[in-house]
Amino acid sequence: MSAVAESLTQTDAGSTPRRRPLSHTVVAWLFLAPALLLLALFSFWPVIWGGVLAFTEYKIITPPTWVGLRNFEDLVEDPVFWISLKNSLLYLLIVPLIQLGAILLAVLVNNRLPGVRIFRTAFYLPVVTSVSVVGLMWGWMYNEQGLINGVLQWARVINEPIGWLSDDRLALYSVMFVTMWRGLGWYMVMYLAALQSIPAEVEEAAVLDGATPWQRFWRITLPMIAPTIALCSVMSTLSAMKVLEEVLILTQGGPVSSTFTGLYYAYDQGIRAFNFPRALAASLVVSVFCIAIAWLNFRLAKARHR
Amino acid sequence: MNSRRTLLGLLATAPWLPSARAAEPIVVEFWTMSLKPKFTPFFEALVQRYEAANPGVKLEWVDVPWDVLQTKLTASIAAGSAPALAQMNVPWAYDYALHGALLPVDAWLDRSVYTEGAIKDLSFKGHVYGFPHYTSVNVMGWHRGLFKQAGLDRAPTTLDEQLAMSKQIKARTGVAGFSPALGKIAGIFLEEGLPLIAGGRAVFNSPRHVALLAKFADCYKAGGLLKDKLFAQDNFPASIDAYKSGRLAMMVAPPQALTRVRDDAPDVYAQTDAAPVPVGSADIAAGGWLFHFAMPRGTPPAVAAAAGRFASYLTGDENQLAFAKLASTFPTSRRAGQDAFFRRLAPGSGALEKGVAIGASRMDHVRTLFVSGVPEFERLNKRLQDAVEASIIGRRDTQSALDDAVAFWNSRLKAAAS
Repeated sequence: MSAVAESLTQTDAGSTPRRRPLSHTVVAWLFLAPALLLLALFSFWPVIWGGVLAFTEYKIITPPTWVGLRNFEDLVEDPVFWISLKNSLLYLLIVPLIQLGAILLAVLVNNRLPGVRIFRTAFYLPVVTSVSVVGLMWGWMYNEQGLINGVLQWARVINEPIGWLSDDRLALYSVMFVTMWRGLGWYMVMYLAALQSIPAEVEEAAVLDGATPWQRFWRITLPMIAPTIALCSVMSTLSAMKVLEEVLILTQGGPVSSTFTGLYYAYDQGIRAFNFPRALAASLVVSVFCIAIAWLNFRLAKARHR
Repeated sequence: MNSRRTLLGLLATAPWLPSARAAEPIVVEFWTMSLKPKFTPFFEALVQRYEAANPGVKLEWVDVPWDVLQTKLTASIAAGSAPALAQMNVPWAYDYALHGALLPVDAWLDRSVYTEGAIKDLSFKGHVYGFPHYTSVNVMGWHRGLFKQAGLDRAPTTLDEQLAMSKQIKARTGVAGFSPALGKIAGIFLEEGLPLIAGGRAVFNSPRHVALLAKFADCYKAGGLLKDKLFAQDNFPASIDAYKSGRLAMMVAPPQALTRVRDDAPDVYAQTDAAPVPVGSADIAAGGWLFHFAMPRGTPPAVAAAAGRFASYLTGDENQLAFAKLASTFPTSRRAGQDAFFRRLAPGSGALEKGVAIGASRMDHVRTLFVSGVPEFERLNKRLQDAVEASIIGRRDTQSALDDAVAFWNSRLKAAAS
């Protein structure tokens, strides 16, 4: 215990205990206050006020008027909103793929091979590349006469170019692939850190006991990085539910609304159509889904941990 | 005594006193849309000239990328920190005016300076909501080499011809014909003289509407239309890129797009000729898109008056002509539009100069087409747009898709009326 903490908890024998715990609490709150103030101002207040506005009729400069659940009823009646929700849930398909891919990459780049740092950097590069650049680059590659179709046609895999972004049956999966490509490097680094924290003795003991590489991976590595897997899964799930930028840059929700996601719907309603209350109502619904899925994820992870 | 005098002198020049405040210049902040860096020297010189002639005014020029301007402006209006003038297009101005977010500018605007079409474009509910700046009109850049390869020797003069030629070009060269602005289908209907609403009811499921969409669907199926970004709200960038790289035979865009072809793809430019875009039944030249300076609500009266005077200067004959020459756009000032620059075609001119001359000759037919006065238009338009997309790419029967969209429109229009 530090001298300060000791002095704060010390009491004189026989006398009334001094109110040091209170001052301890006050000091703690004072330390927290600047961050809390910023959080309250820039996070809590907008969330609360936005939540209230979702139940109002509000047009930029006129004061909001309470309309109850009308904005939510409008959402229910809008088929594009249902497509958006369905697509947001479909987007969750990339979570296991991205986690599996990131673990495999992390295991690969965890080896002490010559030039491995180059690979680590290369895999991380999409994470630090601006989303606009990523969108432009993939937009060109996905073009009907872009690189991907060109290579496939050259290799005689296809005769006619594929509308990666212009075919409503494919566009969402094309956008999902870009999200996955962007996210792999980030999770790879998280898993790499987890892998490097596994004590070398444990691995060495397993080698001495004659465990095969697969057994070592399955029995030692995976259980030891399980907390990281749980954390990354939750983060990845939330990111998938909140995807917006890739849709905005690559497809703007089209064709035939096939790539609308929950958050893109909110963006489209708020920023393009100026319908802020409906945008906020949609955001609330997406938030409820996010919270529910995160809770479920943590519950499952906790159960596995036990 | 001296020290008292010094103290009084200091007090008299203190910034909180009225005499000191009166000497402060009025700050007029104005936003332009994506004009940096190309037009930086133009605006910097203009600001310097104006400030030198008007010592009481300080101008602050802010250039905002077009794709974030609306977001930033909306946020600044809501926060009460909007600029005194903001450059925008007509549909945005209409939306803002509808929500009471703009000030009418009748008090400072000399209507006689501008073309009738430009003033009409900015007139909502009996007031004018902006100072017209420049406009555009589409022309057609066509690739002589690809046309020749397809057995064609001239540009199309009607939409039917354009669609038929596109199919032929695709069949013989493997390259798409053109990229119509199908993401703005309401505008295409209006150009063709096909109404969206008549007598308070949606009517865009008539046989004529269906027939028009069927033509596009047929051409799409044959590969005659460029599929990339075909239904995007703004498909110009994609079609310009495709034309520059030889993946498109006809580029329908404002003449300034030809400068990009000239600068980025000289080989393609050498093969390019310019022609008028076929005019629809409504006799309106396609691609009219007026930009103007609007005055957001909340601007203090003194600043508004100074901003009004500055906007009149900025959009006056001389500055409009200079800007239009620099940008290959078309002025909305009557006198500037009559300048020889737009009317005379020098011998040996390229596709760009020809395009500018063609565009200028059609200025009398230019209007910014958009649907106004329809409640919840964004929502209704989305339903129409989805129906059109589904029918053109062959996912739905055109008639039934339009019938469903019309039924939705009418239910919402009825609800809004009651």
